[in-house]
Amino acid sequence: DNMFLQGWLGILFCSIHGMLGSVLDCEVGGVHCTMSIEMLLDRAIQHAELIYRISEETRTQFKETFIPLALVTQQGHADHLCTVILPTPSSKSEVGQISDKWLLHSVLILVQFWINHLVDLQASLDHYDNTPQDLLDKTKWVSSKLMSLEKGLLTLIRKVRWDVLLFFNKNSIADHLASPRTMEHVMRDYTMLSCFRKDAHKIETFLKLFKCRQTDWPGCSFY
Amino acid sequence: ATMWTDSVMLAGLTLTAIFVSHTAGVSAPGRPRLTGCRSPEKETFTCWWEPGDDGGLPTTYALYYHLEGSETVYECPDYRTAGKNSCFFSKNNTSLWVNYNISVVATNAMGSSVSEPVDVDVVYIVQPNTPEDVRVLVVDDDPGPYLHVSWEKPLAADTQSGWITLVYQLRVKETSQDTWEEYNAGMQKGYNIFSLLSGREYAVQVRCKPDHGFWSEWTSPAYVQIPDYMLREHSMWIIVAVFAGFLLFVLTWTVNVKRSSVKHCLLPPVPGPKIRGFDPHLLKSGRSEEMFSALVTQHFPPTSSYDDLLVEYLEVYDVEKQELVLGVKNEDPLAPTRTSDNDSGRGSCDSRTLLTERYAEDGDKGGADRQLGQCVAELASPPLEEEKVEAWSTPFSPPPLHLQRQQVGGARAAYHSVLEIPCDSPCAPGSYGHQGESDISKPGGRGASTTLAEPQAQSAEYVEVQTVDHENVLLLRPLADPGGPDVDYAGEDYSKIRDVIPDNVLLLQREPSAWPCAADPGQDRGERSCPTALQELMQPCKPPGPLQQGLRLVANGYVDASAMLC
Repeated sequence: DNMFLQGWLGILFCSIHGMLGSVLDCEVGGVHCTMSIEMLLDRAIQHAELIYRISEETRTQFKETFIPLALVTQQGHADHLCTVILPTPSSKSEVGQISDKWLLHSVLILVQFWINHLVDLQASLDHYDNTPQDLLDKTKWVSSKLMSLEKGLLTLIRKVRWDVLLFFNKNSIADHLASPRTMEHVMRDYTMLSCFRKDAHKIETFLKLFKCRQTDWPGCSFY
Repeated sequence: ATMWTDSVMLAGLTLTAIFVSHTAGVSAPGRPRLTGCRSPEKETFTCWWEPGDDGGLPTTYALYYHLEGSETVYECPDYRTAGKNSCFFSKNNTSLWVNYNISVVATNAMGSSVSEPVDVDVVYIVQPNTPEDVRVLVVDDDPGPYLHVSWEKPLAADTQSGWITLVYQLRVKETSQDTWEEYNAGMQKGYNIFSLLSGREYAVQVRCKPDHGFWSEWTSPAYVQIPDYMLREHSMWIIVAVFAGFLLFVLTWTVNVKRSSVKHCLLPPVPGPKIRGFDPHLLKSGRSEEMFSALVTQHFPPTSSYDDLLVEYLEVYDVEKQELVLGVKNEDPLAPTRTSDNDSGRGSCDSRTLLTERYAEDGDKGGADRQLGQCVAELASPPLEEEKVEAWSTPFSPPPLHLQRQQVGGARAAYHSVLEIPCDSPCAPGSYGHQGESDISKPGGRGASTTLAEPQAQSAEYVEVQTVDHENVLLLRPLADPGGPDVDYAGEDYSKIRDVIPDNVLLLQREPSAWPCAADPGQDRGERSCPTALQELMQPCKPPGPLQQGLRLVANGYVDASAMLC
C-alpha cells in the first residue's frame, strides 16, 4: 500500500514538474517545450491582437494630446515614412507567394524591430511635459508583450524545426526611421506610432495566415 | 500701341466673358468631396465622392492618387464598376499597409476644383459584404420547437487562407414587435434560438465583421412561422389546476352539505342548562304534570323497602362472659388504656370513649365487663387504628360485640364487624349485681341499662334486622334456627340504636326485656349460664352455632361469614 501510494505521488509530481517545466521551456524558448504548435500559434495571435489594439489606442491618445488640429491634415505626410522596413508583401497575391518560413521570418523581424524602436519612443515621450502616465504605461506594456511574443516565435521556429539562425538576418533590418530633421518631434513620434500600428496589424495578419497554413483551424474554413 | 491695344482688348474680352458668364449663371465647379472608401475583402476597394456645385456646366470628375513615399500620381483605373461618382481599385491596384493619398478633381468649362485629399490604408477600411444564404429552420424538440439559423460567409471573403477572419451576429424579432434580440455567433455559421412563442411569426437577420474593420449590412430578413404547440409544463399545470379546482369544488360542496356539523365543530354551541329527564318541550307544551313526573325518579327517596340498605341479620354476642373470662384470666383491670385494635369492626366496646366511660362508671374491673354487655353494633366499620385490644386477643376469644352485616347484593367488603354476644347471660338486670351498683347515670347516658342479655342455652343467636324506623332504631327479629339449640324466641327482638358514633359505628341499646332468656336472679345463675356459653367458647374450633357456621372468628375480632376459621 505504501509503495503504491508513493508510486502515485511520484507520478503526480513528475507530471506537475513536467507541465511546469514545459511551460518554462516554452517561455525561454527551450527545446523541450511540450506545447503544441497550435497552442503556441494561438498564444502568438493573442499577443498580436492585443499589441495591435494597444498600439491603436496609444496612437489615438497621442494624437488627441499632442497634435493640434491644424497639423492633423498633415498626418498623411507622416505616415508615408513607414515604408520599407523590409520588403513585405502588400497584397494577398504576394502573400500567397511567400513561404511559411518567410512569413514567420517577417513577423520576427518586425517584432524585433519594434522592440528596439519603442525604447526610443518611450525616451522621447518622457521628454514631454504633459505626457499622460497612461500613455507611458501603455508603451511599456506593449514593449513587454512584444518581447514575450518574440520568445514564443523563437520557440515556434524551433518546434517547426527550422534553423533559427537563418532568421537572424540583421542586414535586412533597415533603420527606416532616419527621421528628417525638419519634422517636429511630435510629428516624428506620431509617425512612429502610426507605423507601429501598421506593423502590428501586419504581424497579426501574418500569424493568422501562418496558422491557417500550418493547422486545421476551423476558422480557416472555405465555406 | 499695338500691344497696348491687344491687352486692352483681351482685358475687355475677359471682362466681358466674366460678365457674360455671371449673367448666364455658369462657373467653375464646386469642390467635390470624398465620402468614403471601403474594401469588402481586403483585396480591392472602392472610393466614392459627391460632386459639388457643377457651375451650370457639364463637369467631369477625375480621381487621382499617389502612394506614400512615392510622388507618382495615378488616376483611378475604373470609374464604372462601382457606379457613378466612384472609383474601383482592383486587386492589382491595391496594396495593403500602404497609405493612398486620394483626391478628386472636378472640371468643367469654367474651371476645375480639387477636393480635400484623403489618406486611406486599405486594411483599415474593410467592411465585408453581407452573409449569404440565410436559412431558418424550425426544429421540433421536447419542451418546444426552436429555430436553427444557418448562413454562409459573404462572397469574396477569403477566410480559408486566414486572410480575413470574420465574426457573425444575428438578430431576431417578432414581426409585430419593434425590438430586436441580438445574438453573437462568433466565427460559427449556425445558431439555435430557443424560447420562442408558439404561433408567432419571426424575422431573422445576420451580419458579419472582420477582426479589425466595420460591420457589414444586415441581410434581408428571413421570416418564419412558429407552429402552435402546448408546452408540456403548461399542460401539466393545466391538469394540476383542473384537478385542484375539482377538489376545491368537492370540498366546498361537502362543507356546504355538512355545514351544520362543521359549524358545530368549529363553533361549538354553548351548553345551556339541562336537567336530566327534564324535557323542555314538555314545559313549552304546558303539561307540567308529565314534566315533573319525569323528574321523579323511581327509587328516590327510598321509601318502601329498605331491604337493600338494611342489614339482614345481626349476630349479637354477649361479650360479658368473654370479659369475665378475661377478667378471670388476668387480674389486670381493663385499663382505660385498653383500646380497640386497629382493625375495623371492633365495636364500641373497643372504642376508647366507651371503654373509658364504662370503666369510669365502676371502678370495678368486673363491673366493667358487664358494661360491655352494651351491645355495640357497627355497621360500617372503619378501624379504630389507634386502639388496640390486646386484652381481647386471647387465642380463643371471639371478638367482642360485632355486628356482621350481610348485604344483599352489596358490593362493599364484607369486613364488617359482627356483633357477637356469645354469652347466654341472663338479661335481667339483677344478674349483675355489679351493675346495679354501677353508676348508671353517667354522662351521655350511655351506661343505662347495660345488661347483657344472655341467651338461654345458646352461646349466640342471630337476629335479623327487620327494619329501621324513623328513630334510627334497628328492629331486629331473631332468625329461624333450624338446627340450633332449642331456643325459642317469641316475639320480635329489637335492638335500639343508641347512637352512631364516628367511624360509622352504631351503638345499639340492649333492651333488658328484649331478650326472652331465662334469667336467674342472682349472679350465680348468671355465672352459671354464662359459663356454658363460655365453656362453649372455650372449646376451640367449635363454632358457636349452626347459623354461625358461616362465621369466621379471627383474633382481631372480625367475623367473616365467608369462611370458617378456628
